[in-house]
Amino acid sequence: MTQRGSIRIEGAVKKHDQLTVLHGIDLDIKAGEFFVLLGPSGSGKTTTLRVLAGLESLSAGKVFMDDEDVTSKEPGERDVAMVFQSYALYPHMSVQDNIAFPLKMIGQNQSSRNLAAQQAATKVNIEHLMDRKPGQLSGGQQQRVALARAIVRQPRLFLLDEPLSNLDAKLRLETRIELRKLQRSLNVTTVYVTHDQEEAMTLADRVAVFMEGKIVQIDTPRNIFARPATLTVASFIGSPPMNLLAAQWQGSTITFKNGGRLQIEQSTASAREVIFGVRPSDLAPSAEGVSATVELIEDLGDNVIVALLVDQQPIKMKLPHTQLIKENETIKVSCQPSTVHLFDPLTGQRL
Amino acid sequence: MKQTIPRQLMLFTAAGLLLTVWAFPVIWGILTSFKTERDVLAYPPVWIFTPTLDNYRAVLSGADSILPNLWSSIVVSSTATLLTMLFAVPAAYAIARLKYPGKQTSGFYVLVTQMLPPVGLVIPYYLVLQRIGGLDTYSGLILIFMTFSLPFAIWLMVSYFEDIPLEMEEAALLDRAGRLRALWYVILPQVRGGIAVTTIFVFLNSWNEFMFSVLLGGNRVRPVTVAMFNFISVEQTQWARLAAAAIVAMAPVILIGLAAQRHIVKGLTVGAVKGGGRR
Repeated sequence: MTQRGSIRIEGAVKKHDQLTVLHGIDLDIKAGEFFVLLGPSGSGKTTTLRVLAGLESLSAGKVFMDDEDVTSKEPGERDVAMVFQSYALYPHMSVQDNIAFPLKMIGQNQSSRNLAAQQAATKVNIEHLMDRKPGQLSGGQQQRVALARAIVRQPRLFLLDEPLSNLDAKLRLETRIELRKLQRSLNVTTVYVTHDQEEAMTLADRVAVFMEGKIVQIDTPRNIFARPATLTVASFIGSPPMNLLAAQWQGSTITFKNGGRLQIEQSTASAREVIFGVRPSDLAPSAEGVSATVELIEDLGDNVIVALLVDQQPIKMKLPHTQLIKENETIKVSCQPSTVHLFDPLTGQRL
Repeated sequence: MKQTIPRQLMLFTAAGLLLTVWAFPVIWGILTSFKTERDVLAYPPVWIFTPTLDNYRAVLSGADSILPNLWSSIVVSSTATLLTMLFAVPAAYAIARLKYPGKQTSGFYVLVTQMLPPVGLVIPYYLVLQRIGGLDTYSGLILIFMTFSLPFAIWLMVSYFEDIPLEMEEAALLDRAGRLRALWYVILPQVRGGIAVTTIFVFLNSWNEFMFSVLLGGNRVRPVTVAMFNFISVEQTQWARLAAAAIVAMAPVILIGLAAQRHIVKGLTVGAVKGGGRR
């Protein structure tokens, strides 16, 4: 069965006057996929979303939807629906009319579009609010209206621009789960922009990590976490972020500036400088390893973050419970060889 | 802010003083319009007198009636206002939203006519109208009114359009509305208040206009602002009738002002607070 909604971007370049916002983006999104564009602000992820919507034109490159070149097509001709960060609800229309608006524009008669609006509203649990105006709704309810307006037309592609960022923390978590369920049940290709790595990890089938107008890695959330392609990805994904330390690499031994040594799986013929990376959760105290001074112990209840100093450089260790560590004492820490990440200090690429 | 008694007292005193200064000529005019010419010229002025409706009778019927002039004013002001809004709304939308060559400067040139003193324009206007046969015609006067009302209306409407988030329109475009239907269904309903305010301002400006009317109008087209001067002649000035005519001419202005008071204040403060102009 061939499903609607496969998306391809080829060599997308976007320039605003002197400033280049996108430096040649290539993306291949499968039909039905939940695809997250993740990156810090100004990395080009929202611009990419707007390019897909047709709201921004490209300086170079092409956009294909279902193998059809839509690069020069108007937003309305692309059969895509978008949820804006501000929701962009029409303030003078009732919820009912907001949701039914896309159907009114394609000429559906009143009774069939009211029925469709009712069904869409039911899917996001706002069917009891149909007569209200957007100004009379809470932020969470407004967000649902925006979602309902997007799903009512059954487009081939949903574009979501940080849809959860205006909600409070608790509501954000609930909505996140519902969003994922909704996408699964509708099975519509979804491109979702966020700067929140946790959202990306929990929602996405695949993630594209954006840095400074380029995509630095495209992979499943698990692989991006387990095998970050560059130093920037490594430090962007994971909380607390990955510990990164300059070190010497020879054979299969890593030697730190303070003389500490660790054995790893990879080996090199000639000695070289590397950036050694390890996730806080992969570190543990041990009899042998690198000596570190305990600076601070943060008890988060179900786990403990230990701030350490290794050769004046701060690193963090995440433990299930405090064990027998005290502040200001010097301990030895190590990690499993398989959990080590090595990066080239010059290019930032994974080794 | 705390509302203390002395503070309120000061506010009311200040407001009362301003009101007296503003209202005095109006009250004096109303009183005069009910006096006989004898009482008008009495010195010291009489405050207690037998009111008469003779002046109103004279200005509303008979040889001195200003009713035809009121009709002229209504025709010129309404037509000028209607045409102005018809052009100003799309023009303002274009300036606020579309990208086109020369956009930066066109917004500025719209306002250039507002920077010249009207008295400097009246002679060129006279010559132009004379050449095209537009002197003392409705179309001629309406055209001239539009030269000042259109830039003003565009300028005011631009600020209303700019107040609407860009995303609102983008959402409509993605909902397959296209530009024109996005304008009609999504944007225009949200600037209804702005359109109302601008319409009122344009109408009032046209209604109150005097200089162009007196110089470019004539016996056929003589708006009420000009007609009032029928009561001033070399031999005598009929003050009571002049006052009655003035009150009649003012009535629509005051009625509109009262009806739209809330909108007008909102319209004057638009743009003062971000997002404060809308609802």
